[in-house]
Amino acid sequence: MECGIVEERLSEYVERSLPHETMVQVAEHLQECPRCSGLIEEMRFILVTCKAFPTFELDTALLDRILLRTSGRPRTRPLRERLRSYFLQPMLTPRFAAGVGLVLLFVALVVDLLAPRASVLATVLSPRELFGQMDRGVQQIYSEGLRLYTSKNEWQEQFTSYKNNLLGKLGIMIEQLDVPVEGKKKATEPKQPEKAPKQKSSVMLLPA
Amino acid sequence: MLPGDEKAVERCLQGDDAAWEAVVNSYGKRIYNLSYRYTCRRDEAEDLTQEIFIRVYQNLKSFRAESGSFQSWIMKVGRNLIIDHFRRTRRYQQTAGTEEMETMNLKDDKVPSPQRIAEQAEASRFLMEGLQALPPELKEAVILRDLEGMSYLEIAELLGIPEGTVKSRINRARLELAKLLTKRRTQVGMQV
Repeated sequence: MECGIVEERLSEYVERSLPHETMVQVAEHLQECPRCSGLIEEMRFILVTCKAFPTFELDTALLDRILLRTSGRPRTRPLRERLRSYFLQPMLTPRFAAGVGLVLLFVALVVDLLAPRASVLATVLSPRELFGQMDRGVQQIYSEGLRLYTSKNEWQEQFTSYKNNLLGKLGIMIEQLDVPVEGKKKATEPKQPEKAPKQKSSVMLLPA
Repeated sequence: MLPGDEKAVERCLQGDDAAWEAVVNSYGKRIYNLSYRYTCRRDEAEDLTQEIFIRVYQNLKSFRAESGSFQSWIMKVGRNLIIDHFRRTRRYQQTAGTEEMETMNLKDDKVPSPQRIAEQAEASRFLMEGLQALPPELKEAVILRDLEGMSYLEIAELLGIPEGTVKSRINRARLELAKLLTKRRTQVGMQV
C-alpha cells in the first residue's frame, strides 16, 4: 500500500472504523514506513490532547448578563450563593480584614499585659492545684466559722455576765433605797389594808 | 434537558422566564466552550456567547421540532454567529496564552499534579497553535469532531454537507495538523 492511500485512511484507522483487511494492510505499511508511523503517532497525540482539552465553566456574571439582556429576569440564586453574598462577601473586604487584624492585635496586647505567663497559668489551673486551693478555701471558711462561733459564745457569756451584774446592782440599789415592795408589804403587813394607797404612791416615786 | 427541549421552548415562548433560564443553564457551557475553541480568547468567547443567546431568544419562534433537535438548532445558530464574527473581524485569532491555559478547569475530576497540568497546558497550547494554522473549514471539522465530540452525522447536519465530506475534511484536518506538529516538534525539539 502506498503512503498516499494510507494517509487518506489514517483517521479511520485511528478510529478503528476500517474493514479488517484494510486495517491489517495499513498496520503492515505503518511497520515499514517511519514517516506514516510518525504521522499516526501525531494523530493519536492530537486525539488524546483533544480529549484532555480543558473546558471552561460558564461564569455566573456572564449568565446574569445573558438573562438580563434576554428575559430581563435576574438569575435564580441557590441558597449557598445567597448566604455567601449576604454574609461572607461583606467580610471578605480589605476594610473588614484590617479591622479584624487590629482587633486581634489589641486582644493579643491585652492578654500579654494582663494574663500571667502560660506556664504559670498552666500550673495554677492544674487539677491538683485547683483541688488543693478548694480544700484550703474550705478549711479557711470552716476555721473562720469556728472562730466566729467561739467569739459569739464569748460575747454572749460576757453580755450575760454584764446583764446579771447590772441587774444585781440594780437590785442592791433598790434595796438601799429601802422601799418596800408590794409583795413584801402584803407579807409583812397583812393587817393594814387601809394604808395600801399610800404605799402605792411611794412606789410611783421610784425612778424609772 | 434534551428530552424536554421542545416543551421548554414552548414554555419560553409563553413567557416562562424560569424555562429560559434552564435553557441557558443547559447550553451555556457548551456554547461558551465552542466559542472559545474558535476564538481562543475568553473575552471574545463571552461576547459571542452572549450574542448567541440573544439571537436564540429572539428567534425561538423559528425553531421547528420536526426539522431537528433543539440542540442541533442552537448549535447551528451559534456556529453561524461565530462564522459571522470571523468574517467581521477578518482575522483568525492567535493562540491562547500559556498562563490562560494553565488556569483552565480540566475535565478530569481528579486533581492533577502541577507537572501534569504544565504538560497538558503545553500540549494544548501546541495543539491550539496548530489549529490556528489550519484552513477554516478544516479547523471547524476538528473542533466539532475532536473537541466538541459530535458525531459525523451531527456535523453533517450542522454544516449542511454530506457525511462523506465531513469524514474527508476531518481526515485532512488531522493529517495537516499532524504534519504541522511534526514540523514544529523538529523545530522545538519536543518529543511525542
